[in-house]
Amino acid sequence: MTTTLTPYRSRLHPARAGFARLLRAEWAKFWTVRAWLLVLAVAAAVTVVISQLGASGSIDTGAGELIAGPDGTVVRDAFRFTHRPLTGDGSITVRVTGLKGVRGGLESWAKAGIIVKKDLRPGSPYAAVLGTPDHGVRMQWNFTQDTAGSTADVASAPRWLRLTRKGDLLTGYESADGRTWTKIKEVRLDGLPRTVEVGPFVATPDHQKLHRSFGGTSETSGGGEVTGTFGHLSLRGTSAAARWTSTDVSGPIPAGVREGATGRTAVSASGSYTLTGHGDIAPDETVGDTVQMSFQGVFVGVLFMVALGALFVTSEYKRGLIRTTFTATPGRVRVLAAKTLVIATVTFVVGLIATAVAFPLAQSRLRANGYKPPAFPDYSLLDATALRAVVGSAVLLSLVAVLALAVGALVRSSAGTIATVLVLVILPQILAFALPLPTAHWLLRLTPAAAYAIQQGLTYYPQVEHNCLPESGCYPMAPWNGLLVLVAYAAVALLLAGWRLRRRDV
Amino acid sequence: MSDATIEVRDLRKRFGRTVAVDGLSFTVQPGTVTGFVGPNGAGKSTTMRAILGLDAPDQGTALIGGRPYRDLRTPLLEVGALLDAAALHPSRRGRDHLRWLAHSHGLPTHRVDEVLEQVGMDKAARRRAGGYSLGMRQRLGIAAALLGDPPVLLLDEPVNGLDPEGIQWIRTLLRRLAAEGRAVLVSSHLMSELEDTADHLVVIGRGRLIADRAVADLLAAASGDRVRLRTAARTEALELLAREGGTVTVTDRETLTVTGLPVERIVELLSEARVPVTEVGAHRATLEEAYMELTREAVEFGSSPDGEEVTP
Repeated sequence: MTTTLTPYRSRLHPARAGFARLLRAEWAKFWTVRAWLLVLAVAAAVTVVISQLGASGSIDTGAGELIAGPDGTVVRDAFRFTHRPLTGDGSITVRVTGLKGVRGGLESWAKAGIIVKKDLRPGSPYAAVLGTPDHGVRMQWNFTQDTAGSTADVASAPRWLRLTRKGDLLTGYESADGRTWTKIKEVRLDGLPRTVEVGPFVATPDHQKLHRSFGGTSETSGGGEVTGTFGHLSLRGTSAAARWTSTDVSGPIPAGVREGATGRTAVSASGSYTLTGHGDIAPDETVGDTVQMSFQGVFVGVLFMVALGALFVTSEYKRGLIRTTFTATPGRVRVLAAKTLVIATVTFVVGLIATAVAFPLAQSRLRANGYKPPAFPDYSLLDATALRAVVGSAVLLSLVAVLALAVGALVRSSAGTIATVLVLVILPQILAFALPLPTAHWLLRLTPAAAYAIQQGLTYYPQVEHNCLPESGCYPMAPWNGLLVLVAYAAVALLLAGWRLRRRDV
Repeated sequence: MSDATIEVRDLRKRFGRTVAVDGLSFTVQPGTVTGFVGPNGAGKSTTMRAILGLDAPDQGTALIGGRPYRDLRTPLLEVGALLDAAALHPSRRGRDHLRWLAHSHGLPTHRVDEVLEQVGMDKAARRRAGGYSLGMRQRLGIAAALLGDPPVLLLDEPVNGLDPEGIQWIRTLLRRLAAEGRAVLVSSHLMSELEDTADHLVVIGRGRLIADRAVADLLAAASGDRVRLRTAARTEALELLAREGGTVTVTDRETLTVTGLPVERIVELLSEARVPVTEVGAHRATLEEAYMELTREAVEFGSSPDGEEVTP
């Protein structure tokens, strides 16, 4: 009954072995669905167009309102300064005996100390040793640089400070008793003239308060005024002036300060100096982030990439095609890897084209609208910051597609996948604009939305207290760390998907 | 055991509380078309998915040429499968569907054109699959199964949706593939589809094996010593023959099937009693009837009380 025949053998021989042919198969799957190519093209176009619309804000930087520090950073440079010129090498020593707010409150970064500054022009190079209420003794120079000394609080106990100049080298010291000195730091200030201004100073950042609930944010800021008291003021070295002069080194007057508020300096009979003043010596972080402003389109581009990543796998589940796929390649994890590589490459390349086109266009638009040097840096595509944001945004677009693919392999339904990924990526972003700031910051640290930090162009310095507002383009994490959060999400989703695929029936 | 076979041994698979396949064992021989038959829900598709490594059995094994499917390094060259003809992306052209499959095994594009021509889809394959009729999808699915020129073919309900000409075509194709020495397993819930095609039948019901026999054997057994007679006086004939020791079944309004009595004795009895008879003859079973008899116990979905038909 059963005919015995020579068993048949396939006359074909596979031409290429391994993962390469699987990649080729998945790539062929991708490009043969015209709708997906269309989605890619639309994603790129929309990213570019929305980025232009997003960069349509304008700013009027009246002449002289913004101050550039020695490295071009926009800075605030306003403080009460009691000074004498110092020619050649020398040193200044003082005992800070008190620091208090004029109207009670004291900002954590209020400052009382001694400073060596090139001249009295705002923005000129300087080095300072100073005490703060909450951050101890610091040595700071040229606005962006900051080194911590001891944790002594000058508001509660007197502290001796010393700053010496030797050529271009400035060295800061501190002491509890004026006899035993501890070196804080030695720094080099390039381009200091022979004669510089030295002396005690006080400054304080604006008082900022933020109330936020759904529907609105109210930010109140008031200019604080502080009083610092100094004893044992002594200058060693050659000075052309025999007496101390006082000046308000003034940059922009902080909003909310009484008109015409001026600093005061009083000298007591015992030789103690009392300085009262406002303003701050620090990078100005309230200016707009023109890099971040150039990537508004990416928020929309993400939607398309999520859909694409999801559909690349869920469309196979929907129609049972996944069985054909796993019949042709029983190694399911390999299939997942091939799909991931294909979708990651495709979305990265298209994303990079989109962001590389969008950024220079948005930049020129912003420049035309008043965001121009010297207040705002003129970024070219190849500047480190710009390049990081452009390439990083493309990586972000690619990673959300990979995340969607992995979630798709877990969830299997298109709607479920797209909803899940959008909740993870987009929702935190929207909520962060409305929730109380601490909550918003946690959302932007713990969810994949943290990755948008990669678009940040402004550097947020730890020595500046600032309300990092998501709606102003500020993210609580450093750029690459933020992107790593998304990498972690994608990696975990892929691992879970691989693990489930191996076990589950299809 | 030669390479080119499917070997299912003590296969068991449950989904939740439902046992889909319950200790199933059978073998598919090379050079034969084996019909895999059972009512819907009998476990055919589950068994096929287990053979293809898509569903992991709870117990037992399903081997291709002695190896589990997941161990095959070039599966398309060893097994060609058609599970679901609708498993196509609607905006992908039929030809592109075969091309990615070919790429996965490094097969050249001209092989794609070869199989497309073989199934008569060379023109239609340049259109998007979304516009295909069920018949066209079946042909494309068969082309995909043939792509690797495999010694084992596994086709789940391939006749579905084909027009009469298509049914004739696939029968010829299946016979030819078997004649080349391939092992062909074709599932169906309709026995009539396998008439004249299958050499061997594996019949299952409720996940269990009911029969694993050559078609010829099955037909002979089912025909048995039955006698069919047509009479206007059904009741009289029935009572008379039953009294004389026959087992009588009412097949139709005027037809009875009798076993246990030879034809000569029946004719004699009926003429003595003057019961009018219009037709008497030995019964030749169809495959459908043979199947019905086998599955009567195992039928899961609607069967009429007198066993006239099984509604799939």
